[in-house]
Amino acid sequence: MMSLAELLKAPGASLECEDDFDAVNALVRDRGWSDGLPVVPPTARRVEEMLAYCDRPWHEAVAKIPPRWGEATPLRLAANAVMAGCRPEYFPLLVLAVEAMCEEPFNLYGIQATTHLCAPLVIVNGPVAKELDINCGHNAFGPGWRANATLGRAIRLALVNIGGAIPGRGDMSTFGAPSKYSYLAAENEEANPWEPLHVEQGLPREASAVTVIGAECPHNVNDHESLTAEGILTTIAGTLIAAGANDIYYHQAQPLVVLGPEHAKTIADGGFSKADAKRFLHEHAQLPMRRFSKENIARRLRVTFKERLGGAGLDAPVHMVQRPENLLIAVIGGAGKHSAVVHTFGATKPVTRALTLRDGSYARSVADFKKSTPTPTLPLRGRENSENI
Amino acid sequence: MCELRRRGLASAVIVSEPFLELGKTQARVFGVPDLPLLPIPHPLGGLSLEEVEARARHALPQVLRLIEERAA
Repeated sequence: MMSLAELLKAPGASLECEDDFDAVNALVRDRGWSDGLPVVPPTARRVEEMLAYCDRPWHEAVAKIPPRWGEATPLRLAANAVMAGCRPEYFPLLVLAVEAMCEEPFNLYGIQATTHLCAPLVIVNGPVAKELDINCGHNAFGPGWRANATLGRAIRLALVNIGGAIPGRGDMSTFGAPSKYSYLAAENEEANPWEPLHVEQGLPREASAVTVIGAECPHNVNDHESLTAEGILTTIAGTLIAAGANDIYYHQAQPLVVLGPEHAKTIADGGFSKADAKRFLHEHAQLPMRRFSKENIARRLRVTFKERLGGAGLDAPVHMVQRPENLLIAVIGGAGKHSAVVHTFGATKPVTRALTLRDGSYARSVADFKKSTPTPTLPLRGRENSENI
Repeated sequence: MCELRRRGLASAVIVSEPFLELGKTQARVFGVPDLPLLPIPHPLGGLSLEEVEARARHALPQVLRLIEERAA
């Protein structure tokens, strides 16, 4: 494998800057290479530390990120991971998440360029979540955890710096959303009474995986009163109902229900499997067509669902999700009688991808993964004092 | 559209004004920076049929000019 020193000799691969935090950040700001927050200077030494956790050639694209269709090479991803404040051991999950969101069914072009306010949400499953200390409990979608904050941010920086998601030019979101800074959490598998998300997607429990979802921010479901599965699910179904959600208008849309551990327990104690919960939610998350505007009935509902709603009366139900199995359910969070509904971009499918070793077997841990990565023959030396970007 | 342009056909993208920059970037990325982008007023969503027709009328002379230029 080519060493970093050699790779950085390529035109445009690096640039010299004064070895000073403010100078580096002024340069990054001038070039628009940020989410607006200061970045950690991506020196050659820091980038090389990140690449110690990479098992591919550092200069070969693992994916192309729209709308610029920029090549996401490990070298570029590593620079963005450093800028975001990642620890090097997070790097395999960054590569994995970027690969997953560049798979065609995810429709990253749409998610990046749309006027909708979606962002890729990453849910981490399996043993690496604990190994990397990814928060799955209290405030899992919020601040306070380095892995959640910086891995999520590294994804955003890659989407901006490699993919060209520049507001008004490549990212046309009418508002954007706070989740565009960082949107990553682990599933609380210990509190999940059913199979975790990655197992439901066909992976073994001992695999570690990311699931990417083109998602809106979580919308809270407060239910402190219901004592039964049906009660909790009725409240969640009521929160899934949103006449302005994209999910209504796409046959394949897969909104996510995030169950808080206490709600999940109540539902499971009521004898509901995950599939039962999905069936209940599908059935109850509906509005009579008359609750939509006349124009939306005529121009969207009767057109999109011509067979079922084309000639139907105004009392015909409009389902928020088209089939029970389209719903995703994950258990995340700490104590409290809350769950969350996460609507999506609609024109997107979630993608789950497992962390594997080069021989195709599942990585048992990031430490395991690192052991299998090749070491470059000519390690970088003597550049620690210059800020290579 | 970029592929059609590369093949020498009269081709263009009709784009509402706020999306011009995105269109230019895409044309550049796909190797046809001279792909004509024909601007029409924003928005496109939430228009009556009459308003949609007005957008088409706005674009039409630009489309015709493009075809004439290509034929000349």
